Amino acid sequence: MTLSGRDTYRDELTKIAEENDRILCLEADLGGKNHQFESQFPDRFFNMGIAEMTSIDMAAGLAEAGFIPFFSTFATFASLRSAESIKLAMGYMEKNIKIIAPYGGVSGGWFGTTHHSLEDIGVVRTFPNIKIACPYGEADTRRVIREAVLSPSPYYVRLSRNESFVSLDRDDEQATMPLVNQKGNGNLCLLSIGEQGTELCKSIQEVYPEISHVHLCYIDQESLRNSMDQLEEHGKTFLVVEEHRLAGGTASLLAILMPNNRVYSFDCGVEWPIYGGSHQETLKYLAFDYETLEEKVKNLLNEGAEVNW
Amino acid sequence: MLIDKELANNVSKTEERLETLSKKTREAIIDIAATETGCHIGGSLSVTDLLIALFEKYIGDSRNQIVLSKGHAAAALYAVLYALGIMEKNPAEGYGRSDSLLTGHPNHKIKGIPYSTGSLGHGIPYAAGWALSQKLKGSTGIGVAVCGDGELQEGLCWETFQVVQAKQIDNFLCVVDRNGGQNDGFVHHISPIDDVRARFESFGFQTVEINGHDFKEISEALLGFEASSKPFAIIANTVKGKGVPDIEGNPKAHYAKIPNRLKNKWKRSMV
Repeated sequence: MTLSGRDTYRDELTKIAEENDRILCLEADLGGKNHQFESQFPDRFFNMGIAEMTSIDMAAGLAEAGFIPFFSTFATFASLRSAESIKLAMGYMEKNIKIIAPYGGVSGGWFGTTHHSLEDIGVVRTFPNIKIACPYGEADTRRVIREAVLSPSPYYVRLSRNESFVSLDRDDEQATMPLVNQKGNGNLCLLSIGEQGTELCKSIQEVYPEISHVHLCYIDQESLRNSMDQLEEHGKTFLVVEEHRLAGGTASLLAILMPNNRVYSFDCGVEWPIYGGSHQETLKYLAFDYETLEEKVKNLLNEGAEVNW
Repeated sequence: MLIDKELANNVSKTEERLETLSKKTREAIIDIAATETGCHIGGSLSVTDLLIALFEKYIGDSRNQIVLSKGHAAAALYAVLYALGIMEKNPAEGYGRSDSLLTGHPNHKIKGIPYSTGSLGHGIPYAAGWALSQKLKGSTGIGVAVCGDGELQEGLCWETFQVVQAKQIDNFLCVVDRNGGQNDGFVHHISPIDDVRARFESFGFQTVEINGHDFKEISEALLGFEASSKPFAIIANTVKGKGVPDIEGNPKAHYAKIPNRLKNKWKRSMV
C-alpha cells in the first residue's frame, strides 16, 4: 500500500529531520490534526495560521539564517495568493525555501473552483531559479523531498490530494532529475506530467505499446531545457498530458523549446469546473479522461488525419 | 555623581556622533536627488534619523538584521551605508545608472542590504522570519523592520503582526516612520490610520510613540525594546523632507529631481 502525496511528504520530511536539524516545517492551517512532523519535532513545526504570504516571506528570513524551511498549503493558495512573495523571495533572491503544494489540479473535487489549481505551474514557472517538480507516486515523492533538502535551490512541489500511486521504475536513485523513460518504438511520444497525466499515459501505452512514454518529473524552464536532447531521442511528435490549463502549461513552453518537433497538448482546457463530484468526475467534466485522450492519440497516429485540438 | 557625569558625557558624545552622521546622510540624499533620476526624497529625509540610530546601534553584530521595508526610501539607506563607511563612494555617483547596483529600491546584492524591498509590506515578514531564526538558534539577535505609515495600508503587514503575536517573536521590532504622507498625498486623506498605536497594541505589541528626529527619544525607545518581553513597535512621528525647509512637511516632496543650484541651496539651508 502506498501513501498519498501529502502523507508521503510529511513522513519523508519527518524522517529526514531526524538527521538534519536545519529543517523546519511550516503549515498555513491546512496541515491537519496529528501532524507527524509536529508530533516528533514540535519546536521546529510552525502552524502560521491562514497567512500564506507572510509564511513565505518569513521563510525567507529563516532561510537566510541557514534553516531549510518547508512550507505547505494548497497549491492554489501557495502559488496564486503568494505569487509576489514567490517571485521576490524565491525567484529573485533565491532563498532556500521549499513549497509543497497538495491539491494540485482539480484533486479537490467537490471543494470547488476556489480550491482547484490549474494555473499554478504556469505562474510559478514564470519566475526563474525555482525548481518545479510534479512527482508521480510515493517513491518519487520521497526522492523529490530528499533532493529538495540537498539542493540550495528554491522548490515548488505540486502534489495531488488523497490518491496514492506506485512510481515508475527507475534505474538510478538520483534519476528523478530530469526524467524517466518508458520507451516505445513509434514516432509518437506521450509526455506525462503529474499524477493523473501519468496515470492516463500508462493506460494508453498498455493499449498502444508502439507509443513512447516519457514521464517528466521536473518541469521548470531549466530542467526542461536540460531534457531536450533526451526528449528528441524518443520521437518527432509529442503529446503533453498535464492536469493544467493550456496557457502556461508545459506544452506551450516545449513547443518553443523544440521548434523542429510537433508538440501538442492534452490539458484541462478553459472551462471552470462548476459542479461537485470526485476528482475523477471533475476531470471528466473537463474532458481530461481516457476516452478523450485516446481519441486524440488515434488522430495523431492516423497519418494525414486532420487534428483538431 | 562622578558616574552620572561620565554617563552624561557618553550620551552627549553618542548623540553628537549621530547628528554628524545624520548630516552626512542628508547631504548624500540631496546629492542623489540632484542626479538624473532624482529620488524619493521626502520619505528618505523623514527616515534618516531612525536608520542612523538603528544601524549605529545594531548593525555591527551579524546576528542582527535591519530591513528597510519602505523600500522607496532607498536613497536614505544607501546614504546611511555611505555615512557609516559600509559603502565607500557617495551613492549619488552611481544611483539609478545602468552600470550600478544602486537601484531606486534597495538591492540585496549590495553589502549591508539583506533583502530587496520596494513592493510594500514584504520587508516586515522577512525581518520577523529573521528574528524567529535567532530565537530558534538561542541567539540574542534581533530582526528590525522599518516601514512607513502609508505602508501599513498593506494587508501583509497586519497578517505578519498577527503571526508575530501568535508566535511571540519578542525579538522583533517594527519601526514606523510616520511622516503622514504617501505617493498621492496625505495618509489621513487617502486612508487614515489614526489609531495606529492602539492597533499595534491590539496585536500584542508593546508600543511607544516618539519624535523620530530626537536621538535621545529614539535611544530610550530602543532600550525599551531590549527590555521588552513582547514584540515591540516604535511609532516615530517624523516630518517628510526633514532638514530641508523648502520641502519640510510637503507631501508633494515624495519624489523630487532637483537642479544643482537647488542642491547647493538645500545643503546650505539644512537645519
